[in-house]
Parts: sequence; C-alpha cells; structure tokens
Amino acid sequence: MYKGGADSSARIDAGAPSPAPVTNRRGGPLVAFKQQLRGYAAAFAVTALCTGVAFPVYPSFNITNIAMLYLLGTAWVALRHGRGPALCMSVVNILLLDYLFIPPLFSFEIEDLPYTFTLVVMLAVAVIIAHLVVSIQRHRERAEISAARMAALYALSRELSGALDAAGMATVAVRHISDTFHATAELVLADAADGAGLEAVRRVLASGGRCVADSIYEPLRGSRDLQGVLVVHPRGGAAALSAEQLQWLATLAAPLALALERAQSAAAAQTAQIASEQAHMRNTLLASISHDLRTPLAAIAGAGSLIALSDSGLDRDRRRTLGHLIERKARDMTQLVSNILKFAEIESQQARLETDWQAVDELIEHSLRGNEAALSGRRIAISVPADLPLILAEATLIVQIMNNLLQNAAKYTPPGTRIEISARVDGDSMLIVVDDDGPGLPFDDPERVFEKFQRGRNEDSIVGAGLGLAICRAAARLHGGDIRAAESSAGGARFELRLPVRMQPQAVGAALGAGA
Amino acid sequence: MHVILIVEDDDAIQSVLRMLFETNGFRVVLAGTAARGEINAKLHKPDIVVVDLGLPDDDGVNLIGQIRSWSPVPIIVLSARTAERQRLTAFETGADDYVLKPFSSPELLARTRAMVRRHVRGILPMGVLKIGAVSIDMSRRVALDERGQEVRMTPLEHRILESLVRHLGRIVTHAALIREVWGPNCNDARALRVYIGSLRRKLEADPSRPKHILTELGIGYRLVLDAAYEPVRALH
Repeated sequence: MYKGGADSSARIDAGAPSPAPVTNRRGGPLVAFKQQLRGYAAAFAVTALCTGVAFPVYPSFNITNIAMLYLLGTAWVALRHGRGPALCMSVVNILLLDYLFIPPLFSFEIEDLPYTFTLVVMLAVAVIIAHLVVSIQRHRERAEISAARMAALYALSRELSGALDAAGMATVAVRHISDTFHATAELVLADAADGAGLEAVRRVLASGGRCVADSIYEPLRGSRDLQGVLVVHPRGGAAALSAEQLQWLATLAAPLALALERAQSAAAAQTAQIASEQAHMRNTLLASISHDLRTPLAAIAGAGSLIALSDSGLDRDRRRTLGHLIERKARDMTQLVSNILKFAEIESQQARLETDWQAVDELIEHSLRGNEAALSGRRIAISVPADLPLILAEATLIVQIMNNLLQNAAKYTPPGTRIEISARVDGDSMLIVVDDDGPGLPFDDPERVFEKFQRGRNEDSIVGAGLGLAICRAAARLHGGDIRAAESSAGGARFELRLPVRMQPQAVGAALGAGA
Repeated sequence: MHVILIVEDDDAIQSVLRMLFETNGFRVVLAGTAARGEINAKLHKPDIVVVDLGLPDDDGVNLIGQIRSWSPVPIIVLSARTAERQRLTAFETGADDYVLKPFSSPELLARTRAMVRRHVRGILPMGVLKIGAVSIDMSRRVALDERGQEVRMTPLEHRILESLVRHLGRIVTHAALIREVWGPNCNDARALRVYIGSLRRKLEADPSRPKHILTELGIGYRLVLDAAYEPVRALH
C-alpha cells in the first residue's frame, strides 16, 4: 500500500519531527483524495491534449501512430499520478480512439476486426505500463525508507557511542524512539535500583506478548543477558504501529542492547581501576601516616617517661622544656590527624559544603590565633581592606587552608622571616595571598607542591604526610576556587588562594553603608 | 574554695584535669557518667561544671539541658566534636563556653576562672569599661580613646557592645546577639559581621588581629578585656 509506505517513511525521518499519526490520519484521506482528483484531472487533460494533436493530422497519420500517442500520454500519467488515473485514462483513450478514429467514425462500432485487436493490445500495454511504473516507484520508496532507516540507525549508534554511561544512553535512546515512533518511550535498565519495575516487565515478556495493553515491550538482549526493556506507548495505541515498524523497533533495540552492555562493562572496569588506585593510595598514605604519627609519639612517650622517672634528677627548667615538647608534638599530631580526616572526607567525595557568609578577615584572624605559637619569631603583616565583601564558604575548610599555609610557612622558613597575608577582590574572585621572604619553593614546578605525599624537603624532623597543600587545593576547588603557588617578589614562597565572590546579600550592602 | 564538677569518662583526662584544678585552688568533684554527673551536680552544688559530650551512658548535651533546667551554674563543654552544628547545639542547650580537645591547660584554666568570677560577681555594673586603649562609659554611651578624643559609635554598635559586655568572657552566639540587638524577628547574621568589623576598627589597636572582640567561627563572638586571657585555638 502506497499510503502506508509514505506514512512510515515520514515517521522514521528522525531528524524532522513530522505530525503525529493521529493528525496524519485525520488530514490524510483528504490530502490523498485531492491528489487523486488532481491525477484524474491531469489524465483527462492529457487525453484531451492527445486528441487535440491527433484529430487535425488524421487521416495522414494512421491509427497505430495515434494509438502510440495515446500510450505515450498514459505512460506519462502513470509515471506522475499512479495507477488509478492511468488505467482510467487508458479506458477513456480506447473509447475515444474507437469513437473518433476507427471507421465508422463517430460510432463505437468497429468495421475491421483487426482494429479490435489493436484496441485490446493497447489496453493491455497501458495496464502493464501502469503496473510497471507503480512497482518501480514502490521499489524506489522502499529504497528511500531503508536509506532513511539506515541513517537513523547510524545516528542512533553515533549518539549512543557519544553517551558516557548507561543513563546517558537511555536518554538518547528514549528521545530517539519517541521521535521515530511518535510515542512515549521509557527504558527500564536491568541494573537500575528500581528492580521491581524490571521484574514487572520481565513478567509481561514471559507471558509471551510484546504488545500488551497499548504498550510495546521490546527486550534489550545483550550477548550475555537481558540489559533492560524498552517500553513504548504509541500515542495511537499499540495497534498504531505496523508490523514493519515493530520489526524496525526490534532492529533499533539491537545496537542499544549492545551499547548498554558495553557501558556496563566499561563502568565495571572503571570501578576496578579506581579500586586499585585507591588501594595503592591507601598503602602509600598508611606508610606515610604511620611514620609521621610515630615520630611525634616517640618524642611524647620519651619525654613523658623521662618526667615520670623518679630519680631522673631533672630540674624545674628541664621538666618544663619536656612538658612544652610534649604539648608541641601533640599539637603537630592534632593538625596531622585533622588533615588526614579531612583528606579522607574529601577523597571519599562525601564532603558536603556547609557554606555560610564569612568575613575573610575573621577567617584569617582565627587561623592566626590558632597558630600563634608555631609562628613565633616570624614577622606577620596583614593587609585586608575594611570594605572586603563576604564570601560564601565553609569556615572550617577555609581555616584549614589558612592553617596549612601558615604552618607550612612556619615549618619551612627560619625565624625572622616576614610573612605577609593579604586579601583583596580581584575581578569576580577573592584573592587571599600568603607571601614570605624565606628560602622559597623547592621545586622548579610550583604545581608539584600540591601533589599528595609530596614534601618540600626530605627532612624527617618536619612532620606532615605531605597532605597539607593537597588538601588546600581540594578544599579550594570544592568551593569553586583554586590555589596556586609561585615565587614571591622577595624570592620566597607565595600562595594565592582564589575563591569566588558571589552576589552580596542586600542587607550587607545596606549595613556597609550604615557602618561606614 | 570553688567547687568544680568534672564529667569526663576518660581516666587520663580525668586525672590531668583533677591535677590542673586541684593545684590551682579548686575543690574537684568527678563523675564518669551523665547519671553520676547529675547526681553530683545536685549533691555538691558546684560553682562551675566541665562536661565532656561523649559520655558512655548519655549525650553530654542532655546532661547540660538537665542541669540548666534547675541551675544557672556556668557550664564549659570540653569536647573533641568540632562540627559547628554540634557546638551550636551545646550553646543552645545552655553551655556557656566550649573548649576543644586537645585543650591547653592554661587556656582551660583561664576560661574556667573567668567564668567563675563572672558568675560570682554577677552581671557587670554599667560603669566605665576599658577595652584596649578605649574607655567606654556604658551608661552614658560615651567612648574616649587614650588621648581623650571621643570614639563615635552608632547606637547599633553600642547595643552590640552592651550585649557582648553582658556576657563578658563568654561566647555569645550569632543568633543570641542578633536577638538582643535587632529583636526576635531578624536573622541576618551577615549584617552582624559588618557591624562587628566596624566595632573592631574603632576599639581594636589592630583590627585584623583583634585582642578583645574575638571570633568564635561559626558560633558567635566573645568579648575579652584582659590581655592575659588566652586565645581560643583554631578549629581542627
């Protein structure tokens, strides 16, 4: 059926969404009727033309030539307007030929029997031509449909290979199927959390039906097992899809199933790789932490036992020195443990920012107060403008960044070093800079200081698993900012922490005006 | 001699605390559980209570609530819990101060003493207060710097300062400060930051390293008068 063919060719044209089949059906017969009417009109026009040409030249042209002329017209009509008009035209032609040209003229009677033969042959030829033309056209349409389908299939495969994971593939497939079949489609994945949904679909499939209650269930069978089920609800009900379209749906399902299977194995491989990387990291971390925790613990245990010794003969000053040593080592360990915990939190990607509006000067103040002892002997300069905007950040994380930067400065610079802390707005971000005139960064590439387990100098006396700056970077990035290291103008180290400054809340603007 | 009740289940910390307070003129009462803590609080009528939050039989916060329901005794939380949310809960339940573990002995001692002094002396009179170099007549709302020049403060700044003075040495949460200054229907903690900043610029010698109006990150502020007062430690 030509109509059906044309219809399905329009529907699989995935690129341009054509009207839904329901509206198609409502407007379809009218359009087809008009087209047919035009075909018949054309047929009569061509007949009239042929007659108009043939009548004046008769009888210098013989009847065979005139019959040929009519056949030519029939062939053209068949080509342009299909079988109906062509057949109708050939009958009219024969009647006209008989009436106008075959003696006796202007009568349907036929004097010579051979003319009857001519007319019958002419009718047969016209019918054959009409059939041939139509079947050629149908072949062409089929070829077009299949080319369009190949293109659609190719487009689907390409989009599927572009999708990153099963969820992305499902989105692509559902969109594609919805467009192609003018239906609502959904994809129930086999490994989805919603196992109950799949179970229900499985039952439908097991009961043997593909079409159940206006829905079509297309199983997606991978090479190993069922990857999922494609559920299609055509807008006109399941009956709206032809057998051909059901076949086409199955064809589309095959690459989808394979792609889903591929995504699943890729995900499994990635999980395995991450697991192995994590295992490696854990081992490195454990070794590093174990060393860094044992060192201060050894000092604490040693100093403690020395104080506890009844006949050690320690004087007051020495006991005090030991006491301070114990406290200092314990504080080092506290910072280390807190870095380890933060590290674990950030790495496990369970770090949820609990942000609030923070005043940068308060964060700096807090961090400085906490590190006063470590920073003793360094000259600290702070330059923070009074009208600095607030930032939306998690206070503990920013303080941790500042703590790590300040402790780094304390660890790696000699007493007397000048440490400058400044904050200012730079473009649409807050720039907090910790700058010193100490010995500077140990690497040619400043970025290396942010790598995990990377320590400035291989001195065992310096505590820290090399996590501090890695955490600074992770914490800064969690906030949508970043941290960079560079050489300071004085030849020391310079760390630039950049955090986004968001729209200031209205009330603060008002308060700034009032407070100034 | 002031009586201090220490509710802490760890033996080592118990003995350190006992040593610290006994050598500094306190009579120490110990409790290893929340239940024991409540009994001892009723039995010994302590002048100050130090509570660990992670107790074996109950959350220390509940103990704070129970004690607070019948006594105004100052309560200091001594805990390893660092999350702001947990610290805020302790303050909202009735804690007066919060010292993080690992703590420094001098700091804990200083805070305890400040708390006991405040509690014994009662609410500060509305006299003249000296914050750094600035003398403030709280009742007349006049502030003078060391050269006798007037330091102008807006009425709102004055009210914030009054609120901090009322809780001298203790942490005042953001919410409490805002309630006392702006009233119950306001909750703009961001405006508060701005006013604190301008107060610091007027009262502190170095506003970027304040010595008197101290920030307790994520919790609130604390006004400290004497320089000998040990600063709080950074959050870990």
